[in-house]
Amino acid sequence: MVEITDVVCSLCGCVCDDIVVEVEDNNVTKVKKGACSVGKSKLMGHGRIESPAIRENGSLKDCSYDDAIKKAAEILAAARRPLLYGWSSTVCEADKVGVELAEEIGAVIDNTASVCHGPSVLAIQDVGLPSCTLGEVKNRADLVIYWGANPAAAHANHMKRYSYISKGYWTAEGKKNKKLIVVDVRRTATAKMADVFLQIEQGKDYLVFSALRAMLYGYEDVVPEVVGGVSKKDLLETVRMMKEAKFGIIFFGMGVTHTGARHNNIVNAIQTTRAAHTHTKFNIMPMRGHYNVAGINQVCTWETGYPFAVDLSRGYAWYNPGEHSATDLLIRRECDVALFIASDPGAHFPGESIRHLAKIPVIQIDPFPNPTTEFADVVIPAAISGIEAEGNVYRMDNIPIRLRKLVDTEYMADEEILERILGEVRAIKEKEGE
Amino acid sequence: MVEELLIRNGVVYDPINGVNGEKKDICIRDGKVVEEVRNPKVIDAEGRVVMPGGVDIHAHIAGGKVNAGRLFRPEDGRKGREAKTKVCRAQSGYSVPNTFATGYRYAKMGYTFVMEAAMPPLAARHTHEEIVDIPILDNAALPLIDNNWMTMEYVKSGDTDLLAAYIAWMVKATKGYGVKVVNPGGTEAWAWAKNCDLNDAVPYFDVTPAEIVKGLAEATEKFEMPHSIHVHGNMLGHPGNYEVTTSTYDLVKGIKPYRDRPTMHATHTQFHSYGGTTWADFESKAGAIADYVNKNEHVSIDLGSVILGDTTTMTADGPMEYSLYQITGRKWTNHDVELETGSGITPFLYSGKVSVHTIQWAIGQELALLIKDPWKLALTTDHPNAGPFIGYPIIISMLMSKRRRDESAEDMHSAIYKRAELPSIDREYDLNEIAIITRGMAAKTLGLHEHGKGHLGVGADGDVAIYDLSPEEREAGKIQKAFLNTKYTIKGGEVVVKDGEVVAAPAGKTYFVTPECDEKLTEEMMTHLKDKFEHYYSVTFNNYPVQDAYVPNPYEIKAPWRS
Amino acid sequence: MQTIRLKLKEEITSGIAKIPVEVDSLTPDKLFGKNEAEIKAVKVWWGNKEENTGDLFDVSVEGEAASADEVKIVMEGDLSRVKHIGDGMKAGEIEALGDVDMHCGAMMQGGRVTVKGNADCWAGREMRGGELIIEGDAGDNLCAMYRGEMTGMTGGKVTVGGDAGECVGQYMAGGEILIKGNAGILTGLNMKGGKITIEGDAIMPGADMTGGEITVKGKVRDMMPSFKFVETATIEGEEYKKYLGDLAMMEKRAKGVLYVK
Repeated sequence: MVEITDVVCSLCGCVCDDIVVEVEDNNVTKVKKGACSVGKSKLMGHGRIESPAIRENGSLKDCSYDDAIKKAAEILAAARRPLLYGWSSTVCEADKVGVELAEEIGAVIDNTASVCHGPSVLAIQDVGLPSCTLGEVKNRADLVIYWGANPAAAHANHMKRYSYISKGYWTAEGKKNKKLIVVDVRRTATAKMADVFLQIEQGKDYLVFSALRAMLYGYEDVVPEVVGGVSKKDLLETVRMMKEAKFGIIFFGMGVTHTGARHNNIVNAIQTTRAAHTHTKFNIMPMRGHYNVAGINQVCTWETGYPFAVDLSRGYAWYNPGEHSATDLLIRRECDVALFIASDPGAHFPGESIRHLAKIPVIQIDPFPNPTTEFADVVIPAAISGIEAEGNVYRMDNIPIRLRKLVDTEYMADEEILERILGEVRAIKEKEGE
Repeated sequence: MVEELLIRNGVVYDPINGVNGEKKDICIRDGKVVEEVRNPKVIDAEGRVVMPGGVDIHAHIAGGKVNAGRLFRPEDGRKGREAKTKVCRAQSGYSVPNTFATGYRYAKMGYTFVMEAAMPPLAARHTHEEIVDIPILDNAALPLIDNNWMTMEYVKSGDTDLLAAYIAWMVKATKGYGVKVVNPGGTEAWAWAKNCDLNDAVPYFDVTPAEIVKGLAEATEKFEMPHSIHVHGNMLGHPGNYEVTTSTYDLVKGIKPYRDRPTMHATHTQFHSYGGTTWADFESKAGAIADYVNKNEHVSIDLGSVILGDTTTMTADGPMEYSLYQITGRKWTNHDVELETGSGITPFLYSGKVSVHTIQWAIGQELALLIKDPWKLALTTDHPNAGPFIGYPIIISMLMSKRRRDESAEDMHSAIYKRAELPSIDREYDLNEIAIITRGMAAKTLGLHEHGKGHLGVGADGDVAIYDLSPEEREAGKIQKAFLNTKYTIKGGEVVVKDGEVVAAPAGKTYFVTPECDEKLTEEMMTHLKDKFEHYYSVTFNNYPVQDAYVPNPYEIKAPWRS
Repeated sequence: MQTIRLKLKEEITSGIAKIPVEVDSLTPDKLFGKNEAEIKAVKVWWGNKEENTGDLFDVSVEGEAASADEVKIVMEGDLSRVKHIGDGMKAGEIEALGDVDMHCGAMMQGGRVTVKGNADCWAGREMRGGELIIEGDAGDNLCAMYRGEMTGMTGGKVTVGGDAGECVGQYMAGGEILIKGNAGILTGLNMKGGKITIEGDAIMPGADMTGGEITVKGKVRDMMPSFKFVETATIEGEEYKKYLGDLAMMEKRAKGVLYVK
């Protein structure tokens, strides 16, 4: 038995890195400390895709890695509008090869941000993002606002490690000297802990942000008695708390990115943060979901100039979410081939896009079987990043942390699979060029 | 296989070796300059200007804030689009180009080394990940070590040796090159939305920025560091800041450097040479700064010269970016980094029709023209803060042509004639001086001349720029064009640019310094440091240092403790 | 006058995948002076490959033109996957006989584009001049800026016969937009100049406005809470409430005018 410390969790955007596990006979046998229950279950492992496989006559037939990679390369090299999607549950080293592959075959490369915090990215492109690292929040924040986010359920360690409950330099007494405001359409588990809970009407976040901004700038007289289901009195109280805080932070989640004004809700949330910043220190941060969705956004940005929904069909990058995002492309039936890595559109995409996927060649690279496997034509199993393979990831506050390898594996890492596909694609193109 | 190259009959400017416009052959074997070659490939450089590969002492090309700049400016991305080629990856961006474009465009200007000027230690992995994706250029990065709680605590307690031990650990942990200072104390204050002037107390830490600068300079000079502290002082960009600037220079006057180099490199000095009390009576004080630099040997500077047009400003100086955003109302990103530093980013348009911008534009050039000894200054635009690096050839042509400066001034705001000195300066740079401020000085100031950079002496790296330019050429437009796209750029003996096109894109090397510190001292420092990780950092001590995997092409420089 | 007929071949959009054809190279000013064979050889992007126009479209040319102003392009066939119709055009006329895909009339500087059907998102994006007529509905981001830019439409005239999607005229700085039907959420978002008229209903119009004028003749749902009522005004014989905003941008910048009933 070996004890491994400082293990980094490859589950959610919290990327907890102080986990201790026990490894015996090349298996993680115990998670001793640091992980939440969901993180623990990922570390302990579950069912795997056993073998590379190619679909023949409707059913998947096991094959070698070589054959699956070759088949994948043939499909991709022949495509006129291929989509390469996923990327947020693997490491940056693999993401880099993915961008190179997209460039080589003139693909659209998109990542799961386009169905989670893509709206936040669009908002940042409009107004920027006054933010900080999570340690700043831990050490300084005396006012924490969760807006459309329910960390008690979705990011179980978030409050304990970084925000409301954590203890830091100026916050040595934990939540005792902090205030918690929760804004949501329903009374969530997080809302039950709050000092102030603003229950907002579905889809009316935008109005509430504008009202707060007007109040923060001193124009409360124009604001009506009720905005988006919230009373003016409660809004005034919220504004008072924001102004009086020494260090405030808004964490927002998908409850606000996907309803009503969607990405413009976030534009407005950020503008509210800026308005508060005229009084005191105020920050805002998206609650990123997958452990490396921030990372693929980073890699894609430094390599192509843009974080997601990048169309490389003309040999250079063109960026337009809503046009080049995966679900839009599929609903519009634009793609003729799709490769999915470390993601499960079969479970998460709208039915219309799945119907199109059923008709076109689909390649899947993943450690785990999921609904996408049901219609994939080439399935390539991969090592699990953070357990069987190491590599770089970015936490939700864009802090880079290196995933550790805990056990050995026979499975190929994502990076190697992609490099081999890229090599095969280049060989095919060279042959065609002759 | 022995690879040999002969560059024949070029007019060579190699100021480190005292070669000033001599017709001379350059021989390269296996990537290094040698006395002679036997069976070389030959490049005919007859009548053309030949210089060592350019060395940029200060630019923001990789890391968290550069990428935040790219991410929030898709409108900048659309400006520099070029499709992939057999050699090149797809390119995008103007003021914040993607990593690939960054490498290609520098190489096309004849540059082969760039210093990334600000690496937040906690995010050092990010800087290195991007650097790996910048083709061709050799590189290094300067970690920010001035607003760090550890630094301020040791400065307060006066434990210079422990501060040195901390510096050593930090430079090693980040695979960095030296000690970067950005608005010392002010960036920590910004975590509470405040700022610090040079002698203000930093909130809660009870030290002043002046004490931090002095402490860091003393601690840095405990080692044989190739480069001095690299300082972006307090009050950057504020009218009337020139006195803060010279007071900051004074802080390190008595400190003895380990070798023949300054004890402070003061960066993007244009932004620190301002007179007046408000933007209304804003004026150039380049003369006062130049006067100081002329009379003293302990300070070197780089220009931070303005390129007119749209750009993306970015710095660890969070409060400065906030002030700028308040002026423009444009988008603004801020990212404070726990226990260490911060950063701010906002787009900015320098317009020749605006009085303040016109004066800023003049100041950068005034510094270059009023400082007598070109070995004291390097050409930079603090890319992309005062403008993107691809504007360097514009500055070169301005410095070489009084006529071009006069013609430009005519189209600009009349404030240039009233509140700047530039129109009255007649000096023109020659090619030797240009070679000094674009390669020689930077290489020497960074200590890289001892590692083969910035010159063409025997043993130097085979990094050569051949410009399609006759030494007699005086026409500014032709000079600018020649410096934008080389005839040839040769990197480590390999032709990487030919006729302005990138023809090869090998990976560059990452230079990093290993300061060597007494074990007992390190152990004592470590008890304090581990306490910080235990209680205040959000990552663990063991997950903090940059792993070797992030620096695939390392070049280590050891910096022993000075006896 | 010269008429260039471009009919998209049926097989281009009849497959399982409907891969868009991008025709920013096919504007009157770019085709002016070319004969039929030359037009057929103009490259257009179809997915990740450049193809000859003649391989994707049936091309016919009638008449002569003395300048680009006298060139009219008629586009036919299933245009629902033809993007960038009239993108960047400077002169002449384009008539699209059916629903068109995204970016129709984007960056347009002059001339006229008429869509005899619906136009997908980003029609008239960053339009600088000329006229765009969409007889059916318009998608989202009509006459808006490109991602990250701070300026949308600056000049020209746009008429939509039906409804328009969200963020009509975002960051608009000049020109005129008339929507005869309803507009989606956030019409005139960040607007700083120009004029938008909605004959039907609108949701949250005028948010973050700093200039320009929006008139909503139908109902407004979810009026912004950060606008200041100024006075009652009469327009074309009907009574409107005049508001100034958006105060969420601070008073000194809140110079947008919003007329609602």
